[in-house]
Amino acid sequence: MADEKRTLPPIDRVWNFFISVKLAIITLIILSVTSIIGTIIEQNQPPEKYHQIYEDWAFALMDRLTLFDMYHSWWFLLLLVLFTVNLSCCTLDRFPKMWKVVRNPRTKLDENLEKTLSLADRWKKKGTLQDWTAKYSAALSSSFAKPMVTDEGNEVHLYAETGVASRFGVYVTHLSIIIIFIGAILGNVFGFKGFVNIPEGEAVAEVPVRGGDQTQDLGFSIRCNAFSLETYPSGQPKAYKSDLSVIEGGREVLRKTIVVNDPLQYKGIWFYQSSYGQAGGATAQVAVARKDGTPMGSLALAANEDVRVDGYGIVRGVNYDQDLQGNGPALQVVVEKPGQPAASFWLYQGRPDLDRQRNDSLVFSFGGLASKMYTGLQVAKDPGVNIVWLGCALMTIGIIMAFFLSHQRVWVRLSPAQDGRVEVVLAGSASRNRLAFEKRFEKIQTGVKAAGQ
Amino acid sequence: MSNVILFNLTTVLFGVASALYLVALYANNEKISAFGSWVCILAAVVSTAALGVRWYESYQMGIGRIPVTNLYESLVFFAWSVNLFYLVVEKKYGSRTFGAFVMPIAFATMLFAVYNDSSIQPLVPALQSYWLHAHVITCFVGYAGFAVSAGAAVMYLLKARQEASHVSEGVVGLLPACKTLDDLVYRTIIWGFPFLTAGIITGAAWANYAWGTYWSWDPKETWSLIVWLVYAAFLHARITRGWHGKRAAVLSIAGFLATVMCYLGVNLVLSGLHSYGGG
Repeated sequence: MADEKRTLPPIDRVWNFFISVKLAIITLIILSVTSIIGTIIEQNQPPEKYHQIYEDWAFALMDRLTLFDMYHSWWFLLLLVLFTVNLSCCTLDRFPKMWKVVRNPRTKLDENLEKTLSLADRWKKKGTLQDWTAKYSAALSSSFAKPMVTDEGNEVHLYAETGVASRFGVYVTHLSIIIIFIGAILGNVFGFKGFVNIPEGEAVAEVPVRGGDQTQDLGFSIRCNAFSLETYPSGQPKAYKSDLSVIEGGREVLRKTIVVNDPLQYKGIWFYQSSYGQAGGATAQVAVARKDGTPMGSLALAANEDVRVDGYGIVRGVNYDQDLQGNGPALQVVVEKPGQPAASFWLYQGRPDLDRQRNDSLVFSFGGLASKMYTGLQVAKDPGVNIVWLGCALMTIGIIMAFFLSHQRVWVRLSPAQDGRVEVVLAGSASRNRLAFEKRFEKIQTGVKAAGQ
Repeated sequence: MSNVILFNLTTVLFGVASALYLVALYANNEKISAFGSWVCILAAVVSTAALGVRWYESYQMGIGRIPVTNLYESLVFFAWSVNLFYLVVEKKYGSRTFGAFVMPIAFATMLFAVYNDSSIQPLVPALQSYWLHAHVITCFVGYAGFAVSAGAAVMYLLKARQEASHVSEGVVGLLPACKTLDDLVYRTIIWGFPFLTAGIITGAAWANYAWGTYWSWDPKETWSLIVWLVYAAFLHARITRGWHGKRAAVLSIAGFLATVMCYLGVNLVLSGLHSYGGG
């Protein structure tokens, strides 16, 4: 055996290496053990963070081995390639043989086959070969499956099978893994993943791509009209909502309010609600009216920033109190009119008419603080994702075929015995779950034997 | 909350069932183990009712969600799955000795659950999805299958050692034959494996819908893949290379340890996207 191995041409030795299940098991174990590393060492963190944890020499070594981004390292990808090549070779090696066996089943129960089958029974019957062939065919049809009859004149063979698909389960499963990998590669090559923050009222047409300095042009722009946060009575977040518009050619072509688990999709690009925050400081909303009550619009006052009101002067918000002297939220405003000393006064949110007492040409009322929010969106385009789902569906089907179907075969041989009777041999085998098949075989046995009684 | 009272009762019942099975094993008394089976069935009824009540109570609180979303709930759901999976196996194999090795897993899980926060909290936005149901249920049926398999593997190792020294006395002598145990180790895995596969796939689909990435090598994802790879190795070794008995049993136990790491270790030790460990 060892000699034979040594004399094999190199190409065959390489082939034999790649078609071995031993290699598959070793690769599976190595993949699972090495995968652990990346769950212990946090991946893709900034270098400063690693320097805090590890000594310099350890950092250098781990960096060298790409342990900080190990799932994309050359050696891990090499393991995945090895895994795929092994899988493909095993399939290419075994599938044709299996196909042959399935296409040309052994329909005759000869002596050699009989010896290999542990489930077998034999008995003798009075009558003719043809008579019993017809009876047993019918019995087999009703208790198992319709048999194929091979009449060789002095001997008749019946052959019936079920669950032949179970033989293909393993190939469907293996193929599904390759399909998933193809989908993943397509997604990586032709897709992108990005992240962008959009302040309320603003739009972006390109997004920074994750893990690089590049940006991706969307081909349209996406605007955040508004962001809102809903909370449960307990204060825990209930929903993050972004009202988004897709703008193409200067027109709004799509509008949708997205939440986590309900993204927006346009032209194959998906936008996912991911985070949020405050864009800049808060502004005080101040409504302005004439003395006679005619509304003049409103001002948004940022802290200590001058806002000019034409024909009046400069207005500035300088202070805010959540509860001024027990009268609720209030805003302190400074007004500078040309040629007059600056006037400072408080506006109460809860008492909008109080400012009339100042007897000025304009009346201000404080409507509360508003803060501008931004929404954080994951942006993704993945043209391979449907191929991945196809692979996943096939994998589920393949595994069920492989484990829950069983290729069960039953043979019957009828031949003339020396005493003039008909000798009958019944035998069966199953590719899986032999214990269950033993019970089924007993039923078939009873069914067949009962025929013609 | 009445659901918690019912879960506490379940814990007691699991404890009683475990004790009965163990006593039955030592005393070689079929009546006691039959009583154990009835306690298991009662526990199944009580725990199912508890899950239902908890679900109902969440609606009464204005939250309204399936009770599988934090550590407490996932632990009781795991124990519930193990108990049901065990009852199916007991019925199918007609042997009650497995109970002494499987029910303590359910009992220990419930004991651990009792020490966790059992209040019903509202769902954070990330968990508000229909994928939650499919993902959690498939994963936990898979985990339960692996737990039963590991229990059988431990029994196998005990039994095989005894058979090797040609003794058939004592407690181990009452265990089912090696052949049966070996078969059980394998057959529970071929049930667990497709469910784990479905669990990983539904998790990937959900992640894609929530974050735009079906796979991001998050520790939880990676550990689920590790578990999957270990059982894939088991199945290849078993089917094509004829690994039976001891080696298969050891691999099954290794797989279950990886499962425990995936389920609990990742949340308690590592950090990642599956937040329930923090709760």
